[in-house]
Amino acid sequence: MGTLEQQIDAYQTQSSSSSSSSIDSNNYPSSLCLSTLCRKRTDNLSTDLRLGLSISPPSSSHQSQLPFISTTPREEAFDWPPIKSTLRTTLVEKQSNFQSQKPSLFVKVYMEGIPIGRKLNLLAHHSYDGLVKALCHMFRTIILCPNSQPLNPRNFHVLTYEDQEGDWMMVGDVPWEMFLSSVKRLKITRANSC
Amino acid sequence: MKRVAYSFPEEVLEHVFSFIESDTDRGSISLVCKSWYEIERWCRRRVFVGNCYAVSPLMVIKRFPKVRSITLKGKPHFADFNLVPEGWGGYVCPWIKAMAVAYPCLQEIRLKRMVITDDCLDLIAKSFKNFTVLVLTSCEGFTTDGLAAIAANCRNLRELDLRESEVDDICGHWLSHFPDSYTSLVSLNISCLASEVNLHGLERLVSRCPNLQTLRLSRAFPLDRLANLLRGAPQLVELGTGAYTTEMQPEVFSNLVTAFSGCKQLKGLSGFWDVLPSYLPAVYPVCSRLTSLNLSYATIQSTDLIKLVGQCESLQRLWVLDYIEDAGLDMLAASCKDLRELRVFPSDPFGLDPNVALTEQGLVSVSEGCPKLHSVLYFCRQMSNAALNTIARNRPNMTRFRLCIIEPRTPDYLTLQPLDAGFGAIVEHCKNLQRLSLSGLLTDRVFEYIGTYGKKLEMLSVAFAGDSDLGLHHVLSGCDNLRKLEIRDCPFGDKALLANAAKLETMRSLWMSSCYVSYGACKLLGQKLPRLNVEVIDERGPPDSRPESSPVEKLYIYRTISGPRSDMPGYVWTMEDDSAYVE
Repeated sequence: MGTLEQQIDAYQTQSSSSSSSSIDSNNYPSSLCLSTLCRKRTDNLSTDLRLGLSISPPSSSHQSQLPFISTTPREEAFDWPPIKSTLRTTLVEKQSNFQSQKPSLFVKVYMEGIPIGRKLNLLAHHSYDGLVKALCHMFRTIILCPNSQPLNPRNFHVLTYEDQEGDWMMVGDVPWEMFLSSVKRLKITRANSC
Repeated sequence: MKRVAYSFPEEVLEHVFSFIESDTDRGSISLVCKSWYEIERWCRRRVFVGNCYAVSPLMVIKRFPKVRSITLKGKPHFADFNLVPEGWGGYVCPWIKAMAVAYPCLQEIRLKRMVITDDCLDLIAKSFKNFTVLVLTSCEGFTTDGLAAIAANCRNLRELDLRESEVDDICGHWLSHFPDSYTSLVSLNISCLASEVNLHGLERLVSRCPNLQTLRLSRAFPLDRLANLLRGAPQLVELGTGAYTTEMQPEVFSNLVTAFSGCKQLKGLSGFWDVLPSYLPAVYPVCSRLTSLNLSYATIQSTDLIKLVGQCESLQRLWVLDYIEDAGLDMLAASCKDLRELRVFPSDPFGLDPNVALTEQGLVSVSEGCPKLHSVLYFCRQMSNAALNTIARNRPNMTRFRLCIIEPRTPDYLTLQPLDAGFGAIVEHCKNLQRLSLSGLLTDRVFEYIGTYGKKLEMLSVAFAGDSDLGLHHVLSGCDNLRKLEIRDCPFGDKALLANAAKLETMRSLWMSSCYVSYGACKLLGQKLPRLNVEVIDERGPPDSRPESSPVEKLYIYRTISGPRSDMPGYVWTMEDDSAYVE
C-alpha cells in the first residue's frame, strides 16, 4: 500500500514536472490481456516510474481486448449509438411500423340507401374479385362481379367509382392498377338504376 | 471584521454585485476577500449545483441564505444513453425538504436527471408561496398527480417544463387543476406526456393566459384541434405541435393555415410526430421568421424536408433526422446563412447499412455555407480526415462538436487510416472548443492532439478509442479546463488515472465504463483523495469478491465537499477514506 501511494506521488511529480511525458506503449501494449497487464504494472511500478515516454505507432490491431467487450448484437444494445431514449423510442416504433404496416390506400365506400359510409383499404386487395367479395361481406349484399353476366339484375348491385375527374364509372373497365391510380371513392348502386 | 476606510459601504457593493450574472464571476468575487465573500453570499439569489452529491443542501443553505432560484443536476450524463443502471440515485427529496424550511421565498427550481416524487412536488407546491418556475429535464419518479398539486397550488407559476422527463402518466385531468383565476403561465412544455390530453382543460388554460409564449404539446394532442388552440394564443413564440397527422380534411388544413398566419411572433417549431407531409404547407406562412426548428421526430423523406426547411431562411437552430440527406444540407448551406446549431440524428440507428444518402459531405457543405455555425451534433456512417480538416478550417468558431460515426472504430473511409488527424484538426483550429465527442477509429495520437490544443475543452466524450493509458494521460495532463470526462469501452487503466489523480479534484466528474481500471486503483484513489467520491458500479456483485487487479465495470468519480453519499443502491460501492491511513 505504502509503495503505491508513493507511486501516485511520484507519478504526479513526474507528470506535472514534464509536460511532454508520455507512457511507453511498448512497455504497455494494448493487446495484452488484462491480467498480464496488471501484473506487469505491479512489477513495473517500483522500478519504472517514467510515466510515459513516447508515442509509438500502435504495433498491432486497434481492437484492444477490452474486458467487457459486448457480445450483444447491435440491434439489442441500448447504449449505442448514443441517442436519448425519447428519440430512440420514436424511431424504434416507426421502424416496427414500417415493417408491419403495408402501404395503404383508404377510400370511402357508400351504398345506395345507406346514409353511413365505410372505409376500405384498396391495397389490401389484389384484384376486382377480392374487392367485390370484401364489399359483399361488408355491406351484406350481392354485388355483380365486373364482366360477369347477371342472371337477374333486379337482385344485384353493381360497383361504381368516382375517378380523379369527378366522373362516375363502372368498376372493372380498366386494369386494376389503373383503377387504383384513378379511384377517389366507391359507390354500390342498384343494378337496375344504372 | 475591520472595515477598511476606503472601501465601499456594503449596500453599494451588494448593488454592484447584483449586476453580475455569471456563476463563475460570482465565485471569483467571493474569493477576493472575506468581506466580499460575506457580501456576495448574502446577496446571491441564484445557485447552480452541477452535481447534487458535490455539496449537501445544508452547506448551500448555510452559505447562501437568501436563494430564490436553484438549479441541480443529478445523474451522470451517460444516463441519457442507458449506461447508468436503474435506481442509481439523484434523489432531490433531501434538497426540497431542506429548502422548504430554509428558503420560503424560493421561486425557481430547475432539475436535470434527478428523481422527484409526487410527495416532493406536493411539498414544493405547498412550501414556496411565490413559486414561479419548475423545470424538470430528463427527470423521473413522479406522476401527473404531483403535477396536479403544482397546478392547484402555485398561483404565480410562470413556467412548467417537463422536457424529456419520464412521467408516470395517470391521466390528462391534472391540467384542470389550474384554478380558473390562474392566468400567469408563460411557458408550458408537456411534450413528454403520453396519456390523452384533457383537450378542453388545455384550451381553456391556453386561452386565459395572455403571456403564454412557449407551448410544447404532447403527441396525444390531435392536429385537428391545433388551429383552435392557436387562435386562442396568437402571441406564441415557441410551439411544439402534437401529432401532426389526421385524415385529410380540407377544412383542417385551411384552419391551420389561418391559425398559423395569425401567429405573428412565432419563432420556434417542434413536435411533428407522425407528420403527414401534405399538412406541412400549413406552417409555411410562419417559416420565414422561424429561428428554431426541431424536426427530430419528423420521419419524412428528403424532398418534403427540403421543401419545409427551404422556407426557413432565418433558421439559427435545426434539429433533423438524417432523412434530410446531403442534398438537404446543401440547400441549408445555401439558404440559411444565420445557422448556429445543427443536429442530425440517425433515422435507423441499428441498421447496418445506410438507409439514406447522408455522408460527411453534408456537414462539409454546412460548414462552408453557414459562417455562424458553432454547435454540431452529427450522426453519420462515413467520415474522412480530409472532411474533418475542411470543417475545422471552415469553422474555427466551433464551440461544440459532437460527431457520432454509428459503427464503432470506423476508419477514414478514403484512406482506411484512423481519424486522429481529422479530430486533431478540429481541436487545433477551433480554439474555443468547449465540448467534443469522438468516434471512429482513433489511436492514442488523437488524445495527444486534444491534450496539446484542447485548452478550453470542458467536456469530452470518448467511446471505443485509444490504445493505451497514454491516451487518457494526454487528456488529463493536457486539458487545463476539463470539467467532465466520460469514457466507455477504451483500454485506459490505472496508470494514467493514478498519475493524474490530483487533476480529478479540479474536475466535476469522470465516468469510465468498460475500461481497464482495477478495483485496487479505485480503492487507492478513494483513500488518497478524500475530496473525491470514488464510486464503483458493478452489477456482478461486490468488487472485493474478485481480485484487486480485476477491472471494475463502471467507475464514477466526482469531487465533493460533503463526503460519501448515503443513498447508494446495492450495486454501487464507494471507496471510502481508510481510517488507518493518515495523510
